[in-house]
Amino acid sequence: MNSLADNTIMLKVKAGDLDKMGLLFERYNRPLYGFLFHMTYQRETSEDLVQQVFYKMLKYRETFTATGEFVHWMYSIARNTLKDQGKSLKQRVKHENTDDHAERLSGGLTPEEHLEKKQAKLGLYKAMEKLSDSHREVLTLSKFQELKYQEIAQILDISEIAVKTRAHRAMLELKSIYEKTER
Amino acid sequence: MKCEQYEELFAGWLNNELKPAEKEMLEQHLTGCAACKAELASMQQLWVLMDEVEVPEPSANMQADFRTMLNDYKAAEAGKKSSSIGILEQLGWLWQWKQRWPLAYTLAIVLISFGCGYLFFNLAGGSKQDKQMVELTSQVHELKQTMMLALLENPSASERMRGVSYTGEIKHADKEVIDALLSTLNNDPNVNVRLSTLDALTRLAGHPEVRQGLVQSITQQDSPLMQSAIADVMLKLQEKSSVKSFRELLKQKDLDHGVRDKIKETITQLI
Ligand SMILES: [Zn+2]
Repeated sequence: MNSLADNTIMLKVKAGDLDKMGLLFERYNRPLYGFLFHMTYQRETSEDLVQQVFYKMLKYRETFTATGEFVHWMYSIARNTLKDQGKSLKQRVKHENTDDHAERLSGGLTPEEHLEKKQAKLGLYKAMEKLSDSHREVLTLSKFQELKYQEIAQILDISEIAVKTRAHRAMLELKSIYEKTER
Repeated sequence: MKCEQYEELFAGWLNNELKPAEKEMLEQHLTGCAACKAELASMQQLWVLMDEVEVPEPSANMQADFRTMLNDYKAAEAGKKSSSIGILEQLGWLWQWKQRWPLAYTLAIVLISFGCGYLFFNLAGGSKQDKQMVELTSQVHELKQTMMLALLENPSASERMRGVSYTGEIKHADKEVIDALLSTLNNDPNVNVRLSTLDALTRLAGHPEVRQGLVQSITQQDSPLMQSAIADVMLKLQEKSSVKSFRELLKQKDLDHGVRDKIKETITQLI
């Protein structure tokens, strides 16, 4: 676990050693990018958002208190950044073709993969895209970012029970969209 | 317990988030309930399929952009601390632009004139030096302004941010600079650029047109972060003429709750 070190590093940044932010970037740029990608499905936007999140962590470093984990603070800032961009993001997504996107995402499939599996994966991508933001968020944090419910509760600022319920509803919604999409 | 209640445990079971007692209870139910078993199996299939979701690689720019952003941020903070900037630092600042070739010519001229001036001083010595330095400083200053204005038009958000941060180094902001900043404040698609612009404009609040522009901008901002930041600025500047605009903003139905409270608070403190 490098969580203790994360907080120590961030406290150094807070104290004015801004270069230390580079270490945190090394550790977390990929997970953060992954989270933002799942929330936007736009590669360039996600890269831009990663910069914005790190910029905000520098700008608002005074607000870091080390009472919680650095990563949780980072994801909270990422969520706020997404919220701030919400309007313009949605407008842009409207113009993007879902099929194109799913096609692009599944481009990594090898020829050996069965057609059936390819279809299933494509269906999953499409279903995930249609998932409501809050459901996609909880699934992304638990499944892809591999965070525990208790950690997600801190990031989303809700109770652990609420995370449990939301995760359950998210899976139900995903499954229902997936079944409709695939057939 | 009904099947529905067991179903609520499915996601937790897949995620390995159930308490041992819950897990045991569910698994026991599954041995006797084919419907739940089938339902969980199909959910698990989807869950496993999710492992194969791929995220495309970010481009190599991401790393480079971060370094640029960090360096710019550090430079901007350092700039805030030392208000007087020496001529060599100014030239150092220009030197960063060497890769931007359309400006390279102008830069070369400045450097050559600096070199010539230096030789001249050494040969002639004495009092002309100050005057020469003043002229050179004003040339550098003009160049900075041109570059800053050009940067504000750049499609990359981090470049625009850089442009905004350089306004801190411009000693006498003229109308052109102020107009460009106000336009960025109201129209830039990136909220961080708008926030930095707000900071830059706050520093220029001595100009009446800046204050006026800030007040007019209140109703044009739709991001909660901006609305809240602008309220802070108005309070700091004790700009009473902003109250009318804030009241206008309060009429918007979709205004963020936190922001609404903050603005009400700001209004009471201003009047
Ligand atoms: Zn059952």
